Amino acid sequence: MERGSLYPNGADTSAAAAAAPEKTTMSIVQQRFKADETVHLIFEAYQIRGQEHFEGLLTLVSSASGGTYALISFSLLRTPLTASNELKINKVFPINKTFQLTTDTKGSISEQQFDLSTDDDRPSKYYYHPIRTDLSAVDFNEFCAKINSCKKAMWEAELPSETTLNFRWLDDYREIGEVKQELKKRQSQYIVYKDIIVYCATWNVNNRPCWDNNNSLRPWLASGEKAPDIYAIGLQELDTTAKAMLNGNQMQMYAAQWIRKMVESVHDGVEYEELQSVRLSGIMLTVIVRKELRQHIVRCRVNSVARGMFNALGNKGGVAVSFQLNEAKICFVNSHLAAHMTYVAERNDDYKAIEDGMRFEENGLLCRTINDHDHIFWLGDLNYRIQEPNGQQRPGPMNDAQTFELLLQYDQLRTEMSHDRCFKGYREGEIKFAPTYKYDVGTDTYDTSEKQRAPAYCDRVLWKGKRIEQLAYNSVMEIRQSDHKPVYAIFRVKIKTRDEAKYKLVLSEVLKAVDKRENDNQPQIITERTIIEFGLVRFNEPAMRDFNVYNNCPQQVDFMFKVKDSPNDICEKWLHVDPQSDSLMIDSARSIRVRMLVDPTSITGLLHKICNTPGKCDFDILILHVRSGRDIFITVTGEYQPSCFGLSMETMCRTNRPVGEYKQDEIKQLMVDVTPEYRVTMPREFFLLIDYLHKQGDQLKGIFQSYDRRQPLSSQFNAVRDWLDTWSEDEFPGTPQTAAEALLLLLDLPEQALLEPFVEDLLHSRSKSEAMELIALLSAPKRNVFMHLCMFLREGIERHDYEANNVAAIFGRILLRTSKSNVTLDYQNLCSQFMRRFIHVDSPDTNAGGNGHAGGANGASGASGTSGASLQA
Amino acid sequence: MTAAPYNYNYIFKYIIIGDMGVGKSCLLHQFTEKKFMANCPHTIGVEFGTRIIEVDDKKIKLQIWDTAGQERFRAVTRSYYRGAAGALMVYDITRRSTYNHLSSWLTDTRNLTNPSTVIFLIGNKSDLESTREVTYEEAKEFADENGLMFLEASAMTGQNVEEAFLETARKIYQNIQEGRLDLNASESGVQHRPSQPSRPSLSSEATHAKDQCSC
Repeated sequence: MERGSLYPNGADTSAAAAAAPEKTTMSIVQQRFKADETVHLIFEAYQIRGQEHFEGLLTLVSSASGGTYALISFSLLRTPLTASNELKINKVFPINKTFQLTTDTKGSISEQQFDLSTDDDRPSKYYYHPIRTDLSAVDFNEFCAKINSCKKAMWEAELPSETTLNFRWLDDYREIGEVKQELKKRQSQYIVYKDIIVYCATWNVNNRPCWDNNNSLRPWLASGEKAPDIYAIGLQELDTTAKAMLNGNQMQMYAAQWIRKMVESVHDGVEYEELQSVRLSGIMLTVIVRKELRQHIVRCRVNSVARGMFNALGNKGGVAVSFQLNEAKICFVNSHLAAHMTYVAERNDDYKAIEDGMRFEENGLLCRTINDHDHIFWLGDLNYRIQEPNGQQRPGPMNDAQTFELLLQYDQLRTEMSHDRCFKGYREGEIKFAPTYKYDVGTDTYDTSEKQRAPAYCDRVLWKGKRIEQLAYNSVMEIRQSDHKPVYAIFRVKIKTRDEAKYKLVLSEVLKAVDKRENDNQPQIITERTIIEFGLVRFNEPAMRDFNVYNNCPQQVDFMFKVKDSPNDICEKWLHVDPQSDSLMIDSARSIRVRMLVDPTSITGLLHKICNTPGKCDFDILILHVRSGRDIFITVTGEYQPSCFGLSMETMCRTNRPVGEYKQDEIKQLMVDVTPEYRVTMPREFFLLIDYLHKQGDQLKGIFQSYDRRQPLSSQFNAVRDWLDTWSEDEFPGTPQTAAEALLLLLDLPEQALLEPFVEDLLHSRSKSEAMELIALLSAPKRNVFMHLCMFLREGIERHDYEANNVAAIFGRILLRTSKSNVTLDYQNLCSQFMRRFIHVDSPDTNAGGNGHAGGANGASGASGTSGASLQA
Repeated sequence: MTAAPYNYNYIFKYIIIGDMGVGKSCLLHQFTEKKFMANCPHTIGVEFGTRIIEVDDKKIKLQIWDTAGQERFRAVTRSYYRGAAGALMVYDITRRSTYNHLSSWLTDTRNLTNPSTVIFLIGNKSDLESTREVTYEEAKEFADENGLMFLEASAMTGQNVEEAFLETARKIYQNIQEGRLDLNASESGVQHRPSQPSRPSLSSEATHAKDQCSC
């Protein structure tokens, strides 16, 4: 990592080298991991929970088999660390595509802080000291740089195949599911022990085919009264001739015939089936089970370890079958170890190699070994001999227990086992049968050949594990086709079994407890109130309210205001909320400020909402979301004091008293009214403004220069607002500029542009007369306002108070406002052109030529007619 | 031997809807805690409860959103319908108005959820027989006409509460089995947590290489 490739599969020994004699923190951490996992760096980081801080370590670890990196966060049970069991894993962050390290000092108590997150989990906050205390740790910059380079190396570099990368190795370090953990704890409440009979058999068949002599195998396989539940039958030297070993098919056929013969020869009266067979050259193990047991067997795996010549030929070695029956993990091993009297050490080595090398694949990459089983049965031609003191080569007849006992004193296996040189932890039953090797084929006579091999107990059955009782252990003399006699052993095993009824009960209790814990541990906050009352809210007058949220639950809580569908924001335009999100430590509170301002940019939306909400309209409902918890609705409410700004011309024409005397729901009634019945022909508010402006004479010079809704309003605006909303008879409280501002807003703020619904058609009308036909169709208030406005503007232009093109541009954009988002220059030109037709004194409609001229004449007469009518109002 | 990282195979999202005061929160509480919550305060927002159940030997985590019933929250609660696999629509058998509003609740549910969302109608407060204003028969007819599952239940006595929640889950599970519910659709309201696949045996010398693994 330090110098070598960043690639976890690459050779990288620097960390291992660091773990040399002295016990550094690094080396202690390394002990927590498996051999193919490397700790690349450690970084001192602490966490804060409540008022306390907890020392911890972040370690960057890679797995060679997974090809991936992860950060593993430990809390320290002691500092400085003295042993690896003082490290407690509290979180695992796989460095995958979602992994993030963010430094964020917002609202922090320390500048030395950062967040880690992965897989959509909520980020975990870590803090660090500016100066490290442990010399094997890195500093923050190095930490970040290393992680970034890991990310790069893994995800951006060219990879052999991305599918080979995985994070399964991390499963060992993650907390196992709460339910599983709890069930494991309460195992005793639903585990019962059930007796099964296990029949182990072994025979070195000396390369003889199974049909040789047409011998029955029943004396060997169907001994004992009770029908066994499981058979494990091991054969050696199935056919070890070179010819057979080179011909795989023939070997296969041989094996199949043997298996068939064995299945035929087991106990009567019970249905059996072959569970699994495994073969390594001439060493074969077949497991046969009662049919009805099969459905309770899971995770069946086989494997083999080759020994013999070059440790690879497989003429010696071992094969094994591993499976789980109910809750019991059972393993059978059949081995053929090194031969010859003097090769004791080689036999021990073979045993060791098989024990170490035998691996059964689990989910993903985890493997189980032979010793990971509850019940292990090891059988086979172990080849240990009887090593009698010199001169005592062949005692006399060997058929009585006394002699067996005498011989067994010199049994190499027993000697080696007693010195713990092999089969540690294994047991063997009492041997009350004659040595099983070596006989003249077809007889019960010991080797009469020139070699005159000493008799020996080559063929054995050993066991390891709890609750195993041997019922029988014997050889079968009458099977004579091999130079070995077959051996069998019968066991009663009490296996762990789940009592389904009890298990169901425990499971339901566990689930209930887990549910309860989850529901009870939901993060909670308390809000001081859920209704924010603003009272009377007036146009263009800001107001604000504060409220508190508290965290009264035993964990840190994150809260945020949720973005809603409508509006696509956390709140309406007339509101502002601060803060929009935050974290609350245990027992802490935070004040949240809600500000309200109904201004030209938001009045249209508010009035729209008031009109379209059945019943009383709240200003807004905010969703206060607690991360991983509930949502709280905060209702923002109050009474909007209507003003003429934002009301349509029609609504204003329906009022029978000043707008300021209306309540919110009263004005709503007028706004949703669609009947063409009006109290006045033109809004009084509009008329008053025009009238005031009209009387200002040359003071109007230079007004209507520009207009933008978003511009701040003048300081006198609210006085003008009140003057209009009360139909005041006082003098106008502002300047011509304020009046112009108010006039423009009055025309611009209604939801619908003044010339709707004909804007589109009017824009494309070719002459004033064509436009007039449409304008005649507008509602009376709109029509009258338009004509009156044009007349007023024309007068001003005549007096050269303001410039025609400028006024046409400003008013055109307002009166022909479009809801289309992109207002093009072309569109603006069309608006201006339209307005110019109506406000130009001499209507120089140059583009339209003759048409324009005629239109201008017609328009003028139409306009004077209409405005005449409105003046009478 | 390795633990799967999750406690469950599926997550189903439910919403509980209906007028204010019909007992939505009490039904949820009765289901998750097996207790009646007297003097239950009005829900101002959306509460949230979980329970792991078993259907067909599969562990299913129900994630239940209990919404505010007040009319003023109607617009806001609409955003919670999205992605619900099950909707429990509740009325109060002792208040006719809560029954009369069902069609409006049903319209919202149909508009805001996907077609495979299971809608279960619950007539709550079945223990208050003496003040009943809605008969079982008329509600049953309404349910049948609209293709809803239906039960009368009591959050107070617990009667039929378990059944309503579990029947809904069974129906959703059945929809999955029969392919009527697309698990990949983001709004199905169901999340699947597959357990890790186990790889077949690698031994080349196994003479009878059947896949013996059934874990």
